[in-house]
Amino acid sequence: MSIAIIEVIDRLKTRIGVEGPPVIATVEAGHVRRFAEAIGDPNPRWTKEAPPTFLVALASGSIHLGDAEDFGTGWLNGGNRFEYFIPVMIGDQITARGHVADVYDKAGSSGDLLFIIFETVYKNQRDEVVARLRGTMIRR
Amino acid sequence: MRVTAGQELPDLVKHPTTRQLVQYAGAQGDFYEIHYDQAYAKSVGLPGVILHGLLKAGFIAQLVTDWLGDGGTLEAFEVSYRGIDQPGRPYRCRGKVTRVEGDVAELEVWGEDEGGKRTTVGTATVRIA
Repeated sequence: MSIAIIEVIDRLKTRIGVEGPPVIATVEAGHVRRFAEAIGDPNPRWTKEAPPTFLVALASGSIHLGDAEDFGTGWLNGGNRFEYFIPVMIGDQITARGHVADVYDKAGSSGDLLFIIFETVYKNQRDEVVARLRGTMIRR
Repeated sequence: MRVTAGQELPDLVKHPTTRQLVQYAGAQGDFYEIHYDQAYAKSVGLPGVILHGLLKAGFIAQLVTDWLGDGGTLEAFEVSYRGIDQPGRPYRCRGKVTRVEGDVAELEVWGEDEGGKRTTVGTATVRIA
């Protein structure tokens, strides 16, 4: 691994724990409908409630880290973990707060990979935690 | 609803198109070019545009919520994206109950390409009403 790449990783590691700006957004019926249509999920339940993965459309759960783009040629989504506490209903006002949870590199079969783990907590207008999301983004 | 270990969920087969990828990109707000720009996707070493990981997560979430109906709620859901999937090819979502304890059931869930390769693997936890 080159010195330049090691520097990129070291720089990114300093971002662990850093919170991105909060995102505040209302769960709109039209947005939920377009989201469910894009998945091809006609469940009538989504006329009142947001489907399980909808929160990523309000706040993606990743923070833009321009520095990471000095590593490799592209991004891959490694995985997502959702935990649900309270249903998200249409009309809810959601506040999402995300931070960088971890940064590490790993040798892959076709070269080195850089992993960035993001965690996001979503709260509703009553300050109740409705869901938590953990996402793994990979630079390759 | 009655849930037992070993029980399989009814398969959900999706037929994603490039149009759907554009629709999903707009609905989620993920405009990374690998999902709609063939030339760009090839320039970063992909065979062409590929499905969003989160679109596949959405398909697998639908598998679970379709099965649950009003009979329970999804409490947690985790997926790892192990391979790429391209539009124009069927994507089959499958699931199986691995454990039941009281009113909580653990599921193994996954998405397969047309060759039966599991390109997305994961788990879900549901509470049965």
